[in-house]
Amino acid sequence: MKRTAVKKKGRKNNKMKKKEKKPFPKRILHYLGRHKWAYLGGIITLFVVDYLNLYIPEFTGYIADGLLYETMDWNGVLHYVVLIFLVAIGLMTGRFFWRYFIFGSCRKIECEIREDLFSHLTGLSMDFYNTHKTGDLMAYFTNDLTAVRSAVGMAVISTFDAVIMTIMVLIKMILHVNLELTVLAVIPLLVILFGGISYGRAMKRRYEDKLQAFSRLSDEVQESISGIRVIKAFVQERQELKSFAKANKNNKDMNMRVVKLHAIVMPLLDVLIGFASVITLLYGGYLVVEGEISGGQFVAFNQYIGMLVWPMIAVGDSINTFSQGMASMSRIQSIFDAQPEIKDTEKTDNSIEKLEGGIAISGLNFRYKEALPEVLSDISVRVPKGSTLAILGRTGSGKTTMANLLLHMYNVEDGMISFDGRDINEIPLGVLREQIAYVPQDNFLFSDTLQTNIAFGVRKFRELPQKKVKHKLFLSKKESLDAYMEQELAERESVADRVYDDLGEVQEAAKMACIHENIMDFPKQYSTMVGERGVTISGGQKQRSSIARALMKDAPILILDDSLSAVDTDTEENILRNLKENRKGKTTIIIAHRISTIQNADHILVLDEGKMAEYGTHEELIEKDGIYARLYEKQQLEQQLETTV
Amino acid sequence: MKKKHLQEDASVQGSVFLRLLKYAAPYWWQMALCLLFVLGITALEIYRPMLTGEAIDLFAKSADFSEIADIAVIYGVVLVLLFVFNFLNTWILQLTGQTIIYNIRQELFAHIHKLSMRYFDITPVGRIVTRVTNDVEALNDMYTQILVRLIKNVAKIVGLAIIMLRLNVRLALLAFCLLPLVIFLTVVFKRISKTTYRIVRTKLTALNTYLSEHISGMKVIQIFSREHEKDMEFKNRARDMYHASYREMMVFAIFRPLMYILSVVALCIILGAGGYTVLEGTISYGVLYMFTNYISSFFEPIQELAEQFSTLQSAMASAEKIFTILDEEPMVMNPEHPVELGEIRGKIEFDHVWFAYSGEDWVLRDVSFTIEPGQSVAFVGATGAGKSSILNLIGRYYDVQKGRITIDGVDIREMSTDELRSAIGQVQQDVFVFTGDVKSNIRLKNDSITDEEVKEAARYVNADSFIEQLEHAYEEEVTERGATFSAGQRQLLSFARTLAYDPSILVLDEATANIDTETELLIQEALQKLMEGRTTIMVAHRLSTIQHADKIMVMHKGKLRESGTHQELLNMDGIYKKLYELQLKGANS
Repeated sequence: MKRTAVKKKGRKNNKMKKKEKKPFPKRILHYLGRHKWAYLGGIITLFVVDYLNLYIPEFTGYIADGLLYETMDWNGVLHYVVLIFLVAIGLMTGRFFWRYFIFGSCRKIECEIREDLFSHLTGLSMDFYNTHKTGDLMAYFTNDLTAVRSAVGMAVISTFDAVIMTIMVLIKMILHVNLELTVLAVIPLLVILFGGISYGRAMKRRYEDKLQAFSRLSDEVQESISGIRVIKAFVQERQELKSFAKANKNNKDMNMRVVKLHAIVMPLLDVLIGFASVITLLYGGYLVVEGEISGGQFVAFNQYIGMLVWPMIAVGDSINTFSQGMASMSRIQSIFDAQPEIKDTEKTDNSIEKLEGGIAISGLNFRYKEALPEVLSDISVRVPKGSTLAILGRTGSGKTTMANLLLHMYNVEDGMISFDGRDINEIPLGVLREQIAYVPQDNFLFSDTLQTNIAFGVRKFRELPQKKVKHKLFLSKKESLDAYMEQELAERESVADRVYDDLGEVQEAAKMACIHENIMDFPKQYSTMVGERGVTISGGQKQRSSIARALMKDAPILILDDSLSAVDTDTEENILRNLKENRKGKTTIIIAHRISTIQNADHILVLDEGKMAEYGTHEELIEKDGIYARLYEKQQLEQQLETTV
Repeated sequence: MKKKHLQEDASVQGSVFLRLLKYAAPYWWQMALCLLFVLGITALEIYRPMLTGEAIDLFAKSADFSEIADIAVIYGVVLVLLFVFNFLNTWILQLTGQTIIYNIRQELFAHIHKLSMRYFDITPVGRIVTRVTNDVEALNDMYTQILVRLIKNVAKIVGLAIIMLRLNVRLALLAFCLLPLVIFLTVVFKRISKTTYRIVRTKLTALNTYLSEHISGMKVIQIFSREHEKDMEFKNRARDMYHASYREMMVFAIFRPLMYILSVVALCIILGAGGYTVLEGTISYGVLYMFTNYISSFFEPIQELAEQFSTLQSAMASAEKIFTILDEEPMVMNPEHPVELGEIRGKIEFDHVWFAYSGEDWVLRDVSFTIEPGQSVAFVGATGAGKSSILNLIGRYYDVQKGRITIDGVDIREMSTDELRSAIGQVQQDVFVFTGDVKSNIRLKNDSITDEEVKEAARYVNADSFIEQLEHAYEEEVTERGATFSAGQRQLLSFARTLAYDPSILVLDEATANIDTETELLIQEALQKLMEGRTTIMVAHRLSTIQHADKIMVMHKGKLRESGTHQELLNMDGIYKKLYELQLKGANS
């Protein structure tokens, strides 16, 4: 009952989508324009190929005539055979070239759109990423891009080919054979043409239903497995199976709906084509008997009919492909139309090239969106150059938001945050972020070598030497292919590390972050891959690598966002000592949960629900006997408990 | 050595194939029928050009029109028969295939639900879902297309060869001359295109992985202002991908026309030699016409066969993965003759229980305790002390390695797990909320629980107050796994769920998440009601919950260290006291 309701709703949505016509995605013209000569070349060869194609039936027809009416000797036959062969050579070359021109261009266009899209994405601000999930964005790169490629490749060829071929074949049939026969024989083909278009529509609908049924089936399994604990606890296995059977049955039925249509239409298509042959046989036979046309012309005509079948089917197909491709392009264009919220403006003073490290926050209020409550309210803190500020507070108290604001990930009003007396809105974005080293909470590392990861913040772009790779054509076993791909990837990574030649600096940063020894224990040391393809790196190791990455920048301001949570207290102490030694005269902001991490900071700011709850030195706050003091006692107790055996 | 390996591979594939055939066995007559249809279709398809050929011969004899008309009629009949056969064949085959797929899926799903928790701990959800959905789907082709088409293509090749030989041996043999070349080119093309295709796929996957990683890591990129660097890096990778894809395109651009020219060469040979034979007077032009037709349809099945073998291989790969799951034995097995307890009173005893999730990493070490019917017991301890494991063991989601657990004096391994779990109401820490509405989240998929009972349960545990405030109350659709509900509301929902099933033992893993005071009060009250008359075992975090328990057990590093009432334990001045003080601090800050 509910299911059908959902389905109906789905349909309705589809219809609504159709109604609101999206504007034609003009951007595609820009890409097509870049390859206009290739397309022109492709279309011209297509034209030549189609024209040449007409001669093969004609020549076979001549041979047929010669043999049927014994008007030709073997040399005459050979003459036409050679001609057919020559035409075929021309066709072969032509077919190669249109593929080369058009398929080559459409793959190039795919590549260009991909590059441009990513480049555009790197410029968009956090608010964009907050509303667009990675998975959704990936869909633009996968499904949509493929649809666009088909539209500018296959669909272009099909359309042109179908139209050119149909017109030329028809002309040939009429001029070379007989007008009436042509008209009669083409009738069933017209049925295919119009039937094909409505079949395409019906099939699309059924196919969508099928996909929907399949995704419902997937959801059912997904839910059932994710909730397996509940299902087992409440002994719901049998009920689950019953409910799954429903989804399974629905999936089967929807598949069958597609199949039914297919099972009728495909043989019907065959029958229609056959009818054209029967008509040719009957009326054509009659014409031959009457002497209006020769047997050879009949043979040629039969082949021409055969040549018309494909375009009739192709038209419906390519209309579909084309409309899908354009819909996808519109979606892609909507991403291109998104503008970064945070960028350098006319207020930006490009003469600022460096920051000293003094930070002043005054009367800072912030909310993520108009309608949402304030995350930070009325915060005022001064962090003089060279000092350390610690920020403490519960989850959701606004600590990370503060870090984000200092990095200008979101916009704040003028006068709320300033560095060295210059307002944050005047400092060029690039300079600001160059001058702040940040260790994020989630320790995001890239799937790359450790060396590359640690040097991430300092490496400037350099063209890497491209090694000429020998292309293998035969790799029948999957394993050997995998090995080959693996090797290729490994080479690319080692090249980067060699070219930048920064192992010394990387090691220094790693030592400061107390990760050097761990790394040296890995079999591949600094060339160890992070992520799926490499060794598993523990959360603590990741965290320290992320610290090393920030330290390597040697920036005047360092922000540690809860970055010591996964390291033990001894290592923490070491890291803090290293920081103190190596960052003399530079500003540090530490966000933490643990008192041990922050008790030596010059000032401690305790946040509570976005407000400044307490502020002062460790001693002052202990004295105050507030949130800070209680947290301190609690952690002392926890430590005692930990040591109980 | 390598050869032996290959043989083993082959035998594994063979057994997988046989196993797949077993699923088709119940439908053998449908399959046999389709086979007949396919043979019929092949015969008719071969017959079609013959009719045209005959007609053309009639032209030369300048016969009268009625004979041509006769042929046209036969042609029409052939067409109709083809339509009927094709339709029935596709229809029956697909229906059978879909039914088999349905059966396999059902079996797989049922089997997965029999597997023990351990399996779900170590297997990602996504992988299981893929097995049940995509992998099973991949088998569809194998039942509906490949089996039958393989036969069809072989039949077609053989049929065409026989017909050609019968028409004219010399021409037929000439046509076969090209066969090795066609086979060779097909195989070469197949292999090269497969390699290039795989390279493109692998590169595309790598590129997309890179993309999705960098989109999720965009924040880091921007913070380190590495936009330009990453942009250029991506360009290089995209170019690399383009080159691979370009190569794939070129492979097709070269091979497709080559295959075409080969077919024209065949046509030319047949026309040339055939022309000679016709002039000799050995065969008529009509026969030559048939030949030219056959030669072009002779190559198709060969190319298709190559295609089908690779589809067959991928179907086999999917089948192997499916069978691996089906061969997985549940670790927790139901006893063959379970002891029936009838009404469970709720006495629980742990008798020197040792337990590890894997190997010798003991989570529980020699734990013994007894809980009397109706008693409520709270387990406390630091994270990783083994509290949650005790709750898991009572419902027998895992089996203990040493010692035993009894309920009302019966070892739980001698009871049917269904009966055992029905008697236990579990409230988990993270309440799993299903897609659907509020109502279906309380009764789950058990339709014997009426709407009234659902509402009754909700009312009893104070869940109705927030449910009634929803726009559609009990019919409100739950979105995003219940993300719109607060942690406290989800907890209340799960209380209602538990109560609706009226268990005699209550197992409760208290939520640690912050819950607003108002809901907190509701929860406490509901909990009291829920515990009435039930043996209750809970992992408790809230002071109020702990203090109300009849007995408190203190776990520390896998061992039961202290037990007694709240006051007794405080007087002991041990671990509990420290934990208690910690809780106190936590509650205040």
